[in-house]
Amino acid sequence: MTDELKPQSDPPAEGAVQERARAAATPASARRSKRQFFRKKKVCRFCADRIDFIDYKNVELLQPFIQERGKIVPRRMSGTCSRHQRWLKIAIKRARNIALLPFASEI
Amino acid sequence: MEERIYDLIFICRPDTPEAEVDKLIALLEQTAAERGGRVEKAEKWGTRKLAYRVRRHREGYYVYLVVHGTRGDMIQEMERRLKVADPVIKYLTVRLDDELKRQRKLAQRRERRAARRTRKPKSAAAAQQAAS
Ligand SMILES: [Zn+2]
Repeated sequence: MTDELKPQSDPPAEGAVQERARAAATPASARRSKRQFFRKKKVCRFCADRIDFIDYKNVELLQPFIQERGKIVPRRMSGTCSRHQRWLKIAIKRARNIALLPFASEI
Repeated sequence: MEERIYDLIFICRPDTPEAEVDKLIALLEQTAAERGGRVEKAEKWGTRKLAYRVRRHREGYYVYLVVHGTRGDMIQEMERRLKVADPVIKYLTVRLDDELKRQRKLAQRRERRAARRTRKPKSAAAAQQAAS
C-alpha cells in the first residue's frame, strides 16, 4: 500500500496559514509569483467608485492612504492605479499645506 | 479671461471671536467684489485640531471660501489681506476650475460610453457586416 505513504497534496480548506508557512520556507524569487497572484485581486478603489476628482478637503477619504508616520501609501500596497495615485498625491499635499493632514515625520 | 474658480481656506487663532471671523469674511467679499469677482460660498468649519502645530497652536478656526473671478490680481490682493490680518495663522488658495472641467469631461465620456454599450448588439452586427 504505497499510496498511504505518499505525501498528500494540501487540502484547500487549510489555505491561508499553510500558504504563509510555505512562503516563508521558499526563497523570495519563488515567492513572487504567489504574491502577485494575491495582489492582482486589488482594484483601484477610486476606479471602482468612479471618482473623477479627489477632494483634498475630504480628510476621511485621504486618511487610509496615509501611513502612521504621515507618508503616502505606495501604489503597490494600496492597489491604486497610476492616474488616481497622481491625483491622490496632489490632494494629500494640499491637505498637508493647510494642516488637515500631517507632513511625513522623520523620527 | 475665462472665469476662474478658487478654494480659499484660512485658519484663525482658536481664541478669535466669531465677530472677528465674520469681519474677515466680509473684508474678503469686499476685496473680491472690488476686483470684479465674488465669494460664492463661505463656510465656517469652526475649531478643528491641526495636523501639526502652526505658530505654536494645536487648534485653529477654519474658514472655507469658494471664490470666482476673472482678474489675476484678485487672489493676490485677497492673500495680501490675509497675510496682514492679525488673527490669521495660515491660509491656502487652490485654483480648481481646470480640475472641475476635467471632472465634467470624464463624467460625460463615461455617460457616452454607457449609452453606447446599451446600443452595442446592433452596432456590433453592423460592424461585422461592414468587415465582411
Ligand atoms: Zn484608479
